Order: sequence, then structure tokens, then C-alpha cells
Amino acid sequence: MDMFKRKIRIRPSYIRKQERFGLIMTAPSLLFLAAVAALPLLILVVMSTYTIDLTFPSGNRWVGLKNYMQMMGDSRFWHAMRVTVVYTASTVFLQVTIGLALAMAFFKGFRGEGFLRVSVLLPMILAPVVVGLAFRTMIMTPEYGILDYLFVLLGIGSKPWLVDPTWALVSVIVIHTWQWTPFAFLVFLASLTALPPEPLEAGLMDARNGWQRFRHIILPMIRPAVVIVIIFRTMIALRAFAAIFSATGGGPGTATEILNLYTYRESFNSLNLGYGAALGTVLLIITVGISMIFFRLRQSRM
Amino acid sequence: MKHEGISGAFRIVRTILVYGLFMLMILVWAFPVIWVILTSMKHRTEIFTIPPTILFTPTLTHYADALTGNDILPGIVNSFLVASGATMVTLLIAVPAGYAFSRIRFPFRDRLSFFTLIAQMAPPIGLIIPCFLLLNRMRMLDTYTGLIAVHMTLTVPFSIWLMVTYFQDLPSSLEEAAMLDGVSPFNTFLKVVLPNAWGGIGVTAIFAFIESWNEFLYAVVLTGSNTKTAPVAIFGFLAAEESRWGPFTATGVMIMAPVIVVALIAQRHIVKGMTLGATKG
Repeated sequence: MDMFKRKIRIRPSYIRKQERFGLIMTAPSLLFLAAVAALPLLILVVMSTYTIDLTFPSGNRWVGLKNYMQMMGDSRFWHAMRVTVVYTASTVFLQVTIGLALAMAFFKGFRGEGFLRVSVLLPMILAPVVVGLAFRTMIMTPEYGILDYLFVLLGIGSKPWLVDPTWALVSVIVIHTWQWTPFAFLVFLASLTALPPEPLEAGLMDARNGWQRFRHIILPMIRPAVVIVIIFRTMIALRAFAAIFSATGGGPGTATEILNLYTYRESFNSLNLGYGAALGTVLLIITVGISMIFFRLRQSRM
Repeated sequence: MKHEGISGAFRIVRTILVYGLFMLMILVWAFPVIWVILTSMKHRTEIFTIPPTILFTPTLTHYADALTGNDILPGIVNSFLVASGATMVTLLIAVPAGYAFSRIRFPFRDRLSFFTLIAQMAPPIGLIIPCFLLLNRMRMLDTYTGLIAVHMTLTVPFSIWLMVTYFQDLPSSLEEAAMLDGVSPFNTFLKVVLPNAWGGIGVTAIFAFIESWNEFLYAVVLTGSNTKTAPVAIFGFLAAEESRWGPFTATGVMIMAPVIVVALIAQRHIVKGMTLGATKG
């Protein structure tokens, strides 16, 4: 039976038919992405070598690398880079550690797991703009916000959540971590549950204390999942926009202005599309660069 | 015996701790959402009382306020049109592509599937600057078509990817039988594969719809008075009147409600779809 199948598959006319079929089936998606994603990104890079001011179109001209030169001396750009690094690194770190700790606590299974799943699913499906606005008003407003009320109740005292520069950065990190830790939790829970029981139990017998078990037995087994969660969440943190935009607008001043927000403000508030495109190009290079590093890392480790 | 007693006690302590943690997690993750819903039904005076009230007589006035006062209702209608449109066109092109990438051998297949991933890596803010300029030139700012097309740069790549993992799990014996019978590849796809793939298509549709329904950055740049979506409308509304928490939360609930209902119905599939790529490696 198998040999018979193989013979039919090898027939040249059949192979040609399959090849044509595959190309036809993927063509609409590929052409669409080429036109609406790849082409605009090329245009973005070209735009970054122009001065484009929508409010003063007659001044638009080619300026070569001038936008990039300007960027090197732009302290607001370097500040945005620092905020982006702090925001990305701390949100990813918090999601992975909290998610992993919670998954470890729950992976033995217990009644009410379904209810827990639904509860932690909620934040992830909400519109980030609604999340940002809700934190800005009902949760983090001094006195009236429920979180601030809780802080007062616990004797910690009212905090200037979104008003003080340092607190504002902490707050937007808290908001992102709140919304997305469930993702890490669910992934780790799924991969812990899927572990083969025998080597796990044999290993657990050997190791005496809990930390040893975790460090030397469980962690190596779920390392692929940890690596993937770090990759996914880093990429998503680098795309963050709506929650910060709606909670602080990048402020106070530029305290929470990640590169995405600076690029937005420069392009659509100041209408400096050329300089905005240069900032966008830098972002593009950073994200593609990081994903290439991650891609290599994944291939070499597994 | 003594040993068992100790481990028994240990087990009880552990159970108590796990359930304590369970309650804490519900409090942290579900409570803010519940709090928004509760606030949306409080009278204006009760919203700002300290300590906050848990028990109150519910009112729907904020909903009436939100729906009549400003551009919330058109926003919700626009969001629905854009999200449905984006979802339908996405499925139309992404399902065949997902099938071909997972099952059919053709030239440059791996390179082409990698290309779809690259499209997903692009930073949204970098994509929206040229798209804004292009749509402006084409006089397509503030049109449904323009926003749907740009939303599809988000939905198409992950829909293809989700369908690829789905088709990889589907047994291929039926297709092979059909092809042996001389059925053309296209008819096999249409009559043998699709009828068995509705589960995967449904989950993909849910993800695509939620993505477009919630999207903010593209919508805030590309839409104007004609096509403003709900996330843009609620942002503009609160920016104008910071202290009107009642109508704001009512609007928030209306934006959250469809997504929460879908999530409750399909929670198992959504969790599976979210964690699939990560657990499979």
C-alpha cells in the first residue's frame, strides 16, 4: 500500500500540480503582506532620509542621514531608549518569575482550576486602552482609586501613582505585568502538566529540598517553555503602546515615554514624519535584531 | 504512623496555602474587572464614597448616558464592522495559506512561511507611519477599507501560524484517500479538509476578532469622524471629561462584554490556542 502511494506521488505531473496548488493557496496572503507590510516598511526606511513636515509641505526634501545624526544628539531619544530597556526588561522579568512561581504552586492540580483559568484569562482579552484608562481612574487615582484605598487601609499610605515620574514608570510596569503575567502562568502550567511523569518523579526522589528540585530537575525540563515565553513577551513589550498612552500619555513629562510613544508624538503630534520615520527605522532594526538573536538562541539550544 | 501524621498535616497546610493563593489570584486578576462592572452600575454619588460601597441599588443610567451622549454607540458599531470585516477577509486568505504551508510541498515554502513571521515582527509604530502617508495619498484615511487592511497586518500572520499548527494535528489519511481517488487538490481542500477544520477556523476567528476589536494605535491614527472605533471613542471621551467615571465604566463594560462572553464560552480553546505555540516549541 505504502509503495503504491509513493509511486503515485512521484509522478512529475502530480508534483507540478501540487507545486502550483501550494503557490496559488499562499499567494493571496503573501501578496497582501508584501503590499501592506513589507512595502510600507521599505517606504519607512526611505522616508527616514527625508524631511517631511505635513504642516509645511514645500520644505520636504531629501536630507540623507541628517535625521540619524540629529538622533545621536537627541537626549530625548536616549532617554526613551533607557525607559524602553527598563520597561521591557522589568515587565518580562516579572511576568516570567511570578508566572513560574504561580504555576509551580498549582501544577499538582486542584478543584477550581477551571474557575482560575477563566479569571486569569480576563485581563489578556481586554483592550489595553480600557485597561490603561481603568488604572488611571478607578484603580490608581489617589484616595478614590481602589488600589490607593487599599494602600491607605493597609497603613502604607497614599502614593502619587501616575503623578510622580518614578512612581509613574513603576505604575505602567505594574499595569503591563498585571495584564500579561497570566500568559506566562498558563504556558508554564501547561508545560508542567505535560511533563513525562517518570523522570520527574525519579528526580524528585533524589532531590531533598524544594529549591533543589526546582533548580536541578524541573527548570531544565521546562527550559524550552521559559525561553519561548521570554521571546514572546519581549517582542510584545517592545510593541507596547495603548496602555501607557492611555494611562500616562508618556508623562509626567517624558517619564514613561518609551520609544514607541516618542515616535508617535514626533510623527503625529509634531507631524515630523521624516524624523518619526527615522525613529521607527531604529525600532525596526532593534526588533528584527533581537528576534534574530532569539531565533539563533532557540535553534542552538534545542 | 508518626511519619504519616506529619505528612498529613503538611498536606493540609499546603492545601490551605494553595487555596489562599488561589483567592489572592482571583482578587488580583478578576477583581479589577468586576470593580469596573460594579462601578458602571453605581449612582454618581456612590462612585466617590470612601470607603467604597459594595452593596448598592444598581442603575443603568450611565449606560443610557454613554449611549446617547457622544460617539460611543457609533464607535461600537464601527468596531463591529471593522472587526468582522477584518476577521472574514483574514480567514479567506489565511486558512488556505495555513493549509498549504503545513501540507503541500512547493518551491520556497520555508522561506515564504518565514516571510509571514517577519511581517509579524515589524513594530506597529514603524508600520503606521508609511501606511498613514500612503492612505493619505490614496484619500483612504477614515475609511473602513483602510483600517481593515492595516488591522489585517496583525491578524493574517498569526492566523496562518495558528492554522498551520492546527492542520499539523489533523490526520492526513482522508486527504490521501481523496487524492488517490483522483480528486484535485483544490476539491480535496474544499470538500474533505475544510469540513473537518471548523474547530481550528473558529478559534482563529475568535483571536482575529478580539485583536481587531481591541486595537488602538492604528485606529487612533487612521480614523476620523466617520470610522472612529470604540477604543478611540472611549479614550477621547475620558480625555475630555476626566471625572465622569460612570459613563466611562459603562462604555468600558460595553467594549469588554462581547469579548468576555466569547471567552467564557470558548475558554478552553482560547487557552489552548494561546499556549499551543509555546508548549509545542
